[in-house]
Amino acid sequence: MSEHSDPRLAREALREKIIGLGETSLHKSYYPELQSRLAELERFRALLDQTYDAIFLIQAKGGRVVDFNATAQRYLGYSREELLSRSFEDLVCPEQRSDFLDYARRRHRSPAESGETYRVSLLTRDGRDIPMEVAFRSVTFGDDRYIVAIARDITERIRIERDLRIKESAFESSINGILIADLERAVTYANPSFAEMFGYSGPEALRGMNLESFFVDPSVAEEIVRDLLQNRPVILEVEGLRRDESSFHIEVSGSAVQNETGQPFCIMLIVMDITERIRLDNLKRESYAQLGKNIEQFAVIGDHIRNPLQVIVGCAEMIDDPLAEKILEQAGLIDRFIAELDRGWVESANVRNFLRKHGEDVELPERRPIGLSRLMDEDT
Amino acid sequence: MNHRNRLELRKFVAPEFVCGQGALDLAGRYAHNLGMRHLLLVTDPGVRAVGWAEAVGESLTEAGVSFTIYDSVSPNPRAGEVMAGAEVYWSEGCNGIVAVGGGSPMDCAKGIGIVSVSGRDILSFEGVDRVPLPPPPLICVPTTAGTSADISQFAIIGDEEGRRKVAIISKALVPDVSLLDPEPLTTMPRDLTVDSGIDALTHAIEAYVSNASSPITDLHALESIRLTSKAMPAVLENPDDLNLRFSTLLASLHAGLAFSNASVGAVHAMAHALGGVYDLAHGRCNALLLEYVIEANYEAASIRYDRIGAILGQGQDEWMSPAGVVAAFRRSLGISGTLSTLGVTRDMIPALAERAYVDPCLATNPRDLSREEIEEIYERAL
Ligand SMILES: [Fe+2]
Repeated sequence: MSEHSDPRLAREALREKIIGLGETSLHKSYYPELQSRLAELERFRALLDQTYDAIFLIQAKGGRVVDFNATAQRYLGYSREELLSRSFEDLVCPEQRSDFLDYARRRHRSPAESGETYRVSLLTRDGRDIPMEVAFRSVTFGDDRYIVAIARDITERIRIERDLRIKESAFESSINGILIADLERAVTYANPSFAEMFGYSGPEALRGMNLESFFVDPSVAEEIVRDLLQNRPVILEVEGLRRDESSFHIEVSGSAVQNETGQPFCIMLIVMDITERIRLDNLKRESYAQLGKNIEQFAVIGDHIRNPLQVIVGCAEMIDDPLAEKILEQAGLIDRFIAELDRGWVESANVRNFLRKHGEDVELPERRPIGLSRLMDEDT
Repeated sequence: MNHRNRLELRKFVAPEFVCGQGALDLAGRYAHNLGMRHLLLVTDPGVRAVGWAEAVGESLTEAGVSFTIYDSVSPNPRAGEVMAGAEVYWSEGCNGIVAVGGGSPMDCAKGIGIVSVSGRDILSFEGVDRVPLPPPPLICVPTTAGTSADISQFAIIGDEEGRRKVAIISKALVPDVSLLDPEPLTTMPRDLTVDSGIDALTHAIEAYVSNASSPITDLHALESIRLTSKAMPAVLENPDDLNLRFSTLLASLHAGLAFSNASVGAVHAMAHALGGVYDLAHGRCNALLLEYVIEANYEAASIRYDRIGAILGQGQDEWMSPAGVVAAFRRSLGISGTLSTLGVTRDMIPALAERAYVDPCLATNPRDLSREEIEEIYERAL
């Protein structure tokens, strides 16, 4: 039962408190509240010190730095006293100081829009510049106006932006056509080479078009996307379709671009116009075929010469005539020329084999050359 | 209840105070030293009219402390006035309060202080030890000699809707500084001098017979009764006499130190009930109740009452009961009549007794009074 259920006890409890003997019957003291507010402030300060951003509190009049968080100190490397003895302007790298002061004067007249930032490099104690993106906000404490500057180190962002620009420039200047499409096969990017290759006025004209529009056989687009999404590499030669409906040979290679969790979110195609290559291939094929034919003819002619030559050698051996020696000598010379032709044939055959190994289809007749010397030895 | 063990725990809390001529000129220095930059000066139209608020304002300005005046305070300060004052406190960006006036502006200032840190309705702090956060610094410059709100842990606020007076009691309500200057007392009209004088006397008497009195509060209570018995009749003859005014101021200070620590009793419980229902002057209600409460309490603290009677009745030829002495004293000051004269009617007595019975002041009355006994006292005072 609570003590208040008995009025006498309740009154007794009340009396204790009235005469100052209650648990909280204390003379006014701001100390406990002060302590808890200070603890609250310290906790908040710790929070501020953990931010990625450097935070400065600047006196609006004169621009002196009156407070800052630990991040500001970490970035710039100054001691507390050093920072407190500087104006914010002193922290701006000398080359940008006058631009910054112009901006500050402008902002003094008309306060910044929310979200507005200013890029400026701040000077570290050891003389380095750190590119920062700074948001300046005006605040009032009591009668004093201050500026809160929240500065973010953008070194990394600038590097990434530069890398991106390099990659973008590589895309833009590539002689290969590059096309990026979402998973619904709608074009999100095309480089100038692609537009030119397919007869469009510029990359912008292609944005939003369906991938199907660029192939004589529209089902190719679907196949490509399907293969890419199943992680199969795509390299294929197909017929491309220009804007004016004319077709041309293209080689398409593709890849799927994945997000941080490994899920594909777009596909990228690299397209080469291979019309010229195919024409050259055909030309080559024809040349090799002609070459093969010629070599064979040489072989046949060699054989054709050897037969009568053999008869001549046989006859010369049978006659006893001083001229016979001369005839055999000349026949030997002819045989050596034919042997040289044979060697040429063997070399041609090696070339043929090499070409065959590397995919060029050149037909050469089988040949096992028979040397005249062997014919002559058989008979001697 | 009065015969308690003298080794029982007692506490004594008092604010810093400065008394003497020119004390009010220290307002600026104290405000500055307490860290006030812009303060709320709580006063009432009457005090403003005679120039004391302005005098304090000059001292503040001299010390480089700016202020906003809030004087929408009626004789019995109301909850609405407290809340409106807190609004001004916030909107003007105040960080401290100076009260200049009698009990009303001082109680209102205490209320504004409580609300300013919590934002809650002032009536929600009714009772004892219900103020959790310390209110902002408060400097009091009393212009009457009687309420001792500048010393005490009490604030009495009127609840307009409930037609009652709410007692807020907390050590957190003891002001930081009291500047007791006799000069402002010289502009008090006779009625106010008498009513506040009787209030001080009631504080001293109730504290002296309180079941929570202590040797320290006894010293102050008896000295207060002594000063009142001499100075009150004289000051009515010579209202501009600074020495006499100072005596009444000291009487009030002593009474305040006594009752802020030993608390008061049935007279105050019953006067609060009357003030809530009829909106009557607090001192006048005390004056008309005091002798009847003494009669009712007498047996529980006879020795102490006899001592009071002896001090107040000094110089009288025949012996009178303490209640009789007190009655004669108030009549000598020109307070005649009964509660009926003030417009109190018999049919209201049960309701009045009901309110008085739950008043926290009853906790330190020397006798445990029942509802019926309280009704009886009202009946006799009618
Ligand atoms: Fe009182």
